[in-house]
Amino acid sequence: MKLAYYPGCSAQSTCKELNVSTQLVASKLGLELHEYRSATCTGSREIRAVQPELFLALNTRILAMAERDGLPLMTICNTCTLNFLDVIQMLAEDKEALARVNASLAEEGLRYEGRAVVKHFLWVLLEDIGEERLRGMVKRPLAGLDVGAFYGCHITRPPGHYGFFDSRNNQALEKLNAILGARSIDYSGRTECCGFHTAAHEEAVAIKLVGKHLKNARDNGVAAIVTPCPLCHTVLDAYQPDMERDTQTRLGLPIIHLPQLVGLALGLTPEELQMDKHVVPLDLATRRKVIPIAAA
Amino acid sequence: MVSLDARRIGQLENRDTLEAKLGALREGDMIKAQVRRFSPGEQPYYETFEVPYQKWMRVLDVLIYISEELDSDLSYRWYCGSKMCGTCALRVNGREILACWAAAEPEMTIEPLRNLPVIRDLTVDRRPYEKRFLELEPWIHRDEPYPGFPEPLTHREMRFTSKALDCISCAACYSACPVVGLGDLTRFCGPAPLVQLGQAALDPRDSRERSQELIEQASIFSCVSCYRCEEVCPASIPIVSKVIEPLKALAYRTARKKPRHPQTFLGIIRRRGRIDPSELVLRVQGLRALARLRWAVSLLIRRKVNPWATVFGRPIPGIASVRRLFRTFLRTS
Amino acid sequence: MRELRAEALVIGGGAAGTYAALCLHRQGVAPLVISKGLVGKSGASIFAGNLVISGRVLGNTEENARDTAEFLIKYHNQFLIDQEYAKRCGQWIAEVYYPELEEAGLYLRRDDAGNVVTSPGRLRSVAANVQGNSGVPFMDLRRKQLIRAGIPMLEEVVVTALLQAESGEVCGVLALDIASGEIFCVRAKAVVLATGYADRLHRRSTGTREMSADGIALGWRAGAELVNLEMQWWHTNDVRYPANWQRMQVYPNPMLGSWKSARNVNAKGEVFFDQQEDDPLAFGPYTVQLKRLVKQVREGKARYDGDYYSGFDHVDPAEVDAYTTYAKLFKQLGLDVGRDLVETAVSAHYRQGGLLVDPATMASTVPGLFVAGGVGGHSNGLIALVTYDGKVAADSVAQHVRDRPYASLPPHKAEEEAKRLQGLLKPGATPPVRVKKMIRELMWNDMGVEKNEAGMRRALEGLQEIRAAVLPAMGVTNLTKIMNHGWLDAIDAVNMVEACELMVHSALNRTESRGPFIRTDYPEMDNESWLAQNILVPTADGGFRFEKRPYATPYFQPEFVRKDNLAVQW
Repeated sequence: MKLAYYPGCSAQSTCKELNVSTQLVASKLGLELHEYRSATCTGSREIRAVQPELFLALNTRILAMAERDGLPLMTICNTCTLNFLDVIQMLAEDKEALARVNASLAEEGLRYEGRAVVKHFLWVLLEDIGEERLRGMVKRPLAGLDVGAFYGCHITRPPGHYGFFDSRNNQALEKLNAILGARSIDYSGRTECCGFHTAAHEEAVAIKLVGKHLKNARDNGVAAIVTPCPLCHTVLDAYQPDMERDTQTRLGLPIIHLPQLVGLALGLTPEELQMDKHVVPLDLATRRKVIPIAAA
Repeated sequence: MVSLDARRIGQLENRDTLEAKLGALREGDMIKAQVRRFSPGEQPYYETFEVPYQKWMRVLDVLIYISEELDSDLSYRWYCGSKMCGTCALRVNGREILACWAAAEPEMTIEPLRNLPVIRDLTVDRRPYEKRFLELEPWIHRDEPYPGFPEPLTHREMRFTSKALDCISCAACYSACPVVGLGDLTRFCGPAPLVQLGQAALDPRDSRERSQELIEQASIFSCVSCYRCEEVCPASIPIVSKVIEPLKALAYRTARKKPRHPQTFLGIIRRRGRIDPSELVLRVQGLRALARLRWAVSLLIRRKVNPWATVFGRPIPGIASVRRLFRTFLRTS
Repeated sequence: MRELRAEALVIGGGAAGTYAALCLHRQGVAPLVISKGLVGKSGASIFAGNLVISGRVLGNTEENARDTAEFLIKYHNQFLIDQEYAKRCGQWIAEVYYPELEEAGLYLRRDDAGNVVTSPGRLRSVAANVQGNSGVPFMDLRRKQLIRAGIPMLEEVVVTALLQAESGEVCGVLALDIASGEIFCVRAKAVVLATGYADRLHRRSTGTREMSADGIALGWRAGAELVNLEMQWWHTNDVRYPANWQRMQVYPNPMLGSWKSARNVNAKGEVFFDQQEDDPLAFGPYTVQLKRLVKQVREGKARYDGDYYSGFDHVDPAEVDAYTTYAKLFKQLGLDVGRDLVETAVSAHYRQGGLLVDPATMASTVPGLFVAGGVGGHSNGLIALVTYDGKVAADSVAQHVRDRPYASLPPHKAEEEAKRLQGLLKPGATPPVRVKKMIRELMWNDMGVEKNEAGMRRALEGLQEIRAAVLPAMGVTNLTKIMNHGWLDAIDAVNMVEACELMVHSALNRTESRGPFIRTDYPEMDNESWLAQNILVPTADGGFRFEKRPYATPYFQPEFVRKDNLAVQW
């Protein structure tokens, strides 16, 4: 299966290991990724809010590339995913705005017609690879690994896109955990906010928002957290020492990118998946549970 | 074959649809309602009531049944019973609802709203919430004299205001907002106060300069964009995308001193096409970031940050397109 | 006991009370607003679905303007209205009301080209933001106008008695703060009673939670004359289930931007009413619909408490959603608005009757007591009309308080009232909320849509029994003074018994049928005898007598003397 691939900014800067592990795992799964190197940032929350027309234009340009190539656009970041979904909807509702953007895109030979399909890697795994095939590809079931899911916000809210009355009812990551052989542990933070989007100017908010949930995860016996979003990862991993100070608790919770967790089950090593790039290292007990038998 | 929709996994299993909620109970089934009781000077506790289900019963019907048949002392607030007055907002199983509107569920833990003082049982003091938005003067100020009835105005101009005007001021989102829940850590006024302000500030007839109000008093850039408010809004207002973001745009457009975070972000994208988070943090926080030296070093070791790229990083291959889009679509006034 | 002072005290935080307060403030009189609920949130004003266009504005033709006046006098008031008052009111609405509201920021719904969206037809209306929800932004605006003007508001405070000087003049009130349990009095130079049509006296009623006919009971205990108390209007299209949705209406009115309206279907599946086709003037209070329903009930094809249906199954759902909230109840019940009907039932709605006032001044028959809005017996409520009342009452109060000193409060009366309230905060056999329920059941059974003397006598006996045996044994389960709804219910129950008895007496005295007032023992509308005020006058011995005063009909006339009420087309 061939997919257009949009890694986004984080996976190309602070979370390079996400990009690396995604590509590695994709090739193991037989996914052919076509990356747009000239793709820009989707505007995150900032451009989106303060320059809505520019936001629309930046995203439409990327959607137009995928539409031109007739490929579904695969994302690996919650916020990028939601931005694309919103832009698709906004353009469907506002033909005048679409015409304005297309007039500009024409200068580089692009045009958007409203046919782009955007899929987060999590959805590709569950919908396109499918439970059966994925289970069949698991080489090293993550038996005994107690995983807590951290969805982040933009993959389960707003209800307009995802349809949940209560977004805490999302079970997509738990389903994936089960396929990979891991056990899902419930805790208070599963669908809570990581606070990334104000962390650049108010990191104390992120630390307070997440710390109590990681503490609850620890108390409930979570050994590692999996997240489908590099922004959440950045907060949960890089600020974890601050959360430990703030909650006065030793947390030591490894935060694993979604493709890394899949990669471990497919038999890749933590090193191949660049898990050593994380601030919080894999502790020995967890490491023993995820390292392929051959490599152990 | 029905293909799987991975966006909604868990919805059916957890009865997260209207159909499932409406079909969960049959006439005469017993509902188990655990209600949080509290009186000033006493410890809060939970009391369990069993209520027989009646057709299309709402949470409010359960509470009314409790007070008419089981315990006439239960304190809860409601007036209209039809999603207009917005005074019966509560939390059921941890999620904000309007009692008059949400279908009763087989098992319910019923609690008062968060982020507001509880007067007794399920009744909260709404005044601190109201005070937050009244400080923002959420009414239109006219510079020009009123031109006479009907004044020139289009729905297109009013599209955001109109959404904000759907607000019934129930404070469900104020309870759901995690940043409001952090108390004094930020000055963020919360979603509902911003919707109230949006009713005026997004109205083209309002001529008041709002940037200081929005940035300082309301601390609008402290919104983490978690969409909890949109999720619980009984009036289905797209609070983040149709109210808070247009207000952020207004604040940014009209502020003489631009808020640093979005401005820095725009600058980086204009130059490079992509964001470099370390540059963003450095520029937004300035010297404050360097104070966290130990942290910076730990990130450096793991190559989370790359000063070389930050200083010498090259723009993306499509930078010419980026600059064209900025020239065409960047709104400067 | 704490004593507050206000030049003018306004009781009630709905459309009438808030506007009276604003007008007083503009005239330099300092008002204080006391609301049993929350100003602009409790009460019926938020239920205004749309705003009827009066006079020659927004493209209304001369004919439209006349139709609106005809609607107001015939359909809306069944000729029980001072037609000169109606005329003044209509003029004010066209000239002052709309421009003032818009200037203050009210958003009358436009389309993308900037046209004000209206419902078409003979009687046209507009919406504040969205049809079905107009009262919400309207009253929210009023609440903010009061706050902005710095007008003090005491909320979730119930006034339990009007206090009168030796001369009989109203000089203050006694009130209970529900949240804190504090009993206090307010000294005022004048009181504006603006408690709305506020009664929730039937099993099914459009009234809001706090409504218990307080205004009628307060006025009566102060010696005010009451008029047309029997004139109870009904909603015919209210959702049968769930119980708390008893006022949730499938709006029969023509929709904005559409020629369609909801229709009613009986148990046999026969359509028996579609307003836009059958009678475009049959706006609230839905008398024409009610008469059609009575026929269905008599033919066994519907019941007043259900077994008939309403909805938009003949309308494109996009048309319903374009400018209205009418689909919201269907969505929440899992129904498809374009395909499904919902089972509906009758709910008691406005009461036209109330305190007798001079509509030129809104003065009641008690000195110092003025009235605005639904609690008055001069007209049926409509948000525009009651707003006008607020203005008229404010003008009169401003005159009344000028150079007038505060009268001193009679201390023993306040103490007596406080003692009465404290006496209600006691343990007892029957919880007050249960007593309220008993009253509502009794009223529903014997003071429902179709009445007769035997039933009404039964209702009276039942009420007397409650007064004699149930009220003394009534008691709360918790003696706390903090947010004690049991205590409040006890206060309400006393008022309800009082008001219900007066209503039954008034109904017995009007020996005819008129519009929604339907007596099976007097089925004819009788314009010879009863085109008249049915006035209840308190007597010195604590009882009452009736007086009758005919209405003048200078602009519109009923055009017949006697006719079977159900055959009267309006």
